[in-house]
Amino acid sequence: MQHLANVTPLRPELAKPAIEIAALNHIYDGRDGQVPALEDISLTVGAGKFTVIVGPSGCGKTSLLMMMAGLRHQTNGTINIQGRPIDKPDPDRVGVVFQEASLFPWLSALDNIEFPMALRNAPREERRKRATDMLNLVGLQGFGARYPHELSGGMKQRVSIARGLVQDPPVLLMDEPFAALDEQTRMTMGHELLRIWSQTAKTVVFVTHSLTEAVYLADEVIVMSARPGRIIDRIAINLPRPRTYEMMATDVFGRLRERIWQQIRKEG
Amino acid sequence: MRRPAPSTVRWLILAALLVFWELMPRTGIIPELFLPTLSKTLAALVKDWREYASELSVTLYEVAIAMLIACGGGILCGALVGGVTLLRNLLLPIFSSMYAIPIVILYPIFTAWFGIGSESKIIFAGVYGFFPVMLSTAAGIRTIDEQLLLAARTMGATVPQQITRVIIPASIPTVLTGLRLGGALTIVGVVVSEMLTSAAGIGYLVTRYRTILDSPHVFGAIIMILLLSIAFDAFARAIERRTKVWQVAGRRQKDGDPADVIARPVQAAV
Repeated sequence: MQHLANVTPLRPELAKPAIEIAALNHIYDGRDGQVPALEDISLTVGAGKFTVIVGPSGCGKTSLLMMMAGLRHQTNGTINIQGRPIDKPDPDRVGVVFQEASLFPWLSALDNIEFPMALRNAPREERRKRATDMLNLVGLQGFGARYPHELSGGMKQRVSIARGLVQDPPVLLMDEPFAALDEQTRMTMGHELLRIWSQTAKTVVFVTHSLTEAVYLADEVIVMSARPGRIIDRIAINLPRPRTYEMMATDVFGRLRERIWQQIRKEG
Repeated sequence: MRRPAPSTVRWLILAALLVFWELMPRTGIIPELFLPTLSKTLAALVKDWREYASELSVTLYEVAIAMLIACGGGILCGALVGGVTLLRNLLLPIFSSMYAIPIVILYPIFTAWFGIGSESKIIFAGVYGFFPVMLSTAAGIRTIDEQLLLAARTMGATVPQQITRVIIPASIPTVLTGLRLGGALTIVGVVVSEMLTSAAGIGYLVTRYRTILDSPHVFGAIIMILLLSIAFDAFARAIERRTKVWQVAGRRQKDGDPADVIARPVQAAV
């Protein structure tokens, strides 16, 4: 697995788009009539790419992510995942990790990871084996029997990531997964996520408020405007991989972060 | 000196109470008509154990059927009222306010409808225990963490799977709290109705011996009822403890502990 870590995700065979969003608009019925939430969103995400969406609070970035997950329906426009439209959740194509780990408190860590496979009545042994592999992948060897309330916040998110990956979907959507963690854990988890990503070659779309996190993780940062949410900038992050904590102190990192901040600040 | 364990202290308090029970009437501080000595009460229990056993079996039978009605009906109605928005908006306010009514005022009507045999007790106690079970089931379903359902949907859970694998396990702790409160009220309902109008049951024994001023036998019956309630509570708590694992998590915090929401009106009613 380790050999993948040094391969740039820009390999040509991975370059065909995993996610294609075309002319997407979304209007919802608010208290004072119809509110435009998302406006003319078009976005293509190449397979195996790590894309981060940032934007001011309430800009609809979580809504957009929920639409990509098939949990919510846009007013018009199309979302194709792996070449086909998505109109309901499809665990074969898309795994989702939420801000709260959303683990089932009555199931052990291992049973939580197995849950998606249990829904499809996969054979018990296969489930166990696959879930154990995922538990090891996220660095939680030996914690499979623990219940969620016996795990730290970071460990819960690791379990949640393992659960999102257990059915091997090509696309992983992450909605501010580390927002509830303390700063140190957050940095560690970001680094861990990059390791997992490099070993699994998933297409990741990651929503965050943290600009440092965005630059550190992304191949490309999508900046959204205040409501109605539009894409106002797409910034390629050409920092070499694997990323290191030292990069955060470099001028390049600082300039990229500053550029995103300027865009968002204008939107206030 | 080491402080004794709380459980030791509790047993000592109980032992002290029993000693007082024996001594107070014996020394004449309390007349024996008001409080017979513990030894006389136990002697009455032992002497007429056949009568107590047969009346207790009537009470147990009524309690068992009434609990089935209260728990079965309560869980079913609670699931509907908690799970279906329309029913919740229409019915929950009605059920909640009915909860405050002292249902014992309906008992004379029940005797008119169902006679003075076991049926009226079963139905009265069933209705009495129904409300906490129903309300806690509704609360349990209402306060499920939406995020868990959302997560299950992203994993491809169908609606039946969402019910069996998320909604039911997530509501079990609250439902169990309701069952414990509802079960206790069912026992109260049966005994009270037996005391009011009846020809059988342990509550009837209390009334009958009271009218002939036979205090030891009255207290004998009271001891039986106490034991029955304590046994039920211990049983219910044992089940609750087994589900402790997920009792701490899995629901929205801002609504507070649903057990509190249910417990408050019950304490007010009792």
